Amino acid sequence: MQHSKRQPSTKKRKIRVHHHHLKSSIFMASRNQGSAPRALVVEDIKVDRLILMHMLHKLNCEAIAVENGKEAVDLFLEGKTFDIVFSDKDMPIMSGPEAVAKIRAMGATEVKIVGVSADFGGKEAFMQAGADVFVPKPVKLETLQSMLEVVISKKNMSG
Amino acid sequence: MDYSNLRRQAASMKKSLFDQGYLDEQFCQVEDLQDEASPNFAEEVVTLFFKDSAKLISNVEQALEKYPKDFNRWDAYMQQLKGSCSSIGASRMKSECMSFRDYCGQGNVEGCMRSFQKVKREHGALRQKLEAYFQLLRQAGQLVLLELPPGPGCKN
Repeated sequence: MQHSKRQPSTKKRKIRVHHHHLKSSIFMASRNQGSAPRALVVEDIKVDRLILMHMLHKLNCEAIAVENGKEAVDLFLEGKTFDIVFSDKDMPIMSGPEAVAKIRAMGATEVKIVGVSADFGGKEAFMQAGADVFVPKPVKLETLQSMLEVVISKKNMSG
Repeated sequence: MDYSNLRRQAASMKKSLFDQGYLDEQFCQVEDLQDEASPNFAEEVVTLFFKDSAKLISNVEQALEKYPKDFNRWDAYMQQLKGSCSSIGASRMKSECMSFRDYCGQGNVEGCMRSFQKVKREHGALRQKLEAYFQLLRQAGQLVLLELPPGPGCKN
């Protein structure tokens, strides 16, 4: 297995190069716009929330997290704006697809909404609710990076 | 202290966890998120996982007792646990969670009870092995010691 051949010092160097490459492309793109992308994470499972938030911070994203769909909707009702939303599907109080439908119904059509779930059947629910894309869990760092780059380039074009 | 030997032992231990199916590639993804700013991130994630998963297992246990044949409820709890297992690469635990959910789908109470016992066993085994792994990493100097006694020149 690839991991078994890793040497710790080489691995550390790989992390630094990888991190620099990731951060530099997102940083340069966001610097053109003048602000880091603003992300909202909607996730009830603490471990998933921790990992996703950590990834977003590594990618130079301003990110906040809530624990269910209702809290996400409440933020939009308060007038908060985000460039991208990552929402889990099954959560207490309000599910991801339900929250997405409400957010779109409020007129928040520009925000990119990503449905995230370990349940592949969740894709249909999210897309019908108005999500832009569905990614299966666990989310990869490279997947987040490419999504954020799209968001940033869209911001730069419209800015 | 022979740090290089300890590191080899840690690498060998990790390889063994993969070879025996306890962990999958997702664990490497979590470890790869570590950097100078968050050198102990993997251990933080794993610690949080075991704290949360203990509660989820307790929820399932109570549901099995208080809500007989409520397969939807049992399944919902186990789905959360399975999700957490996926996130940290706890492969064997995840398989047992999936097995439990399959039995829920079949309405098989005995199957659910049996696989739940397996979930608990895998949970205990993984916890023991990962605790040993991170302990070894600490000894090998690959984890930042969060509590260091003040020494000469150290800021408090």
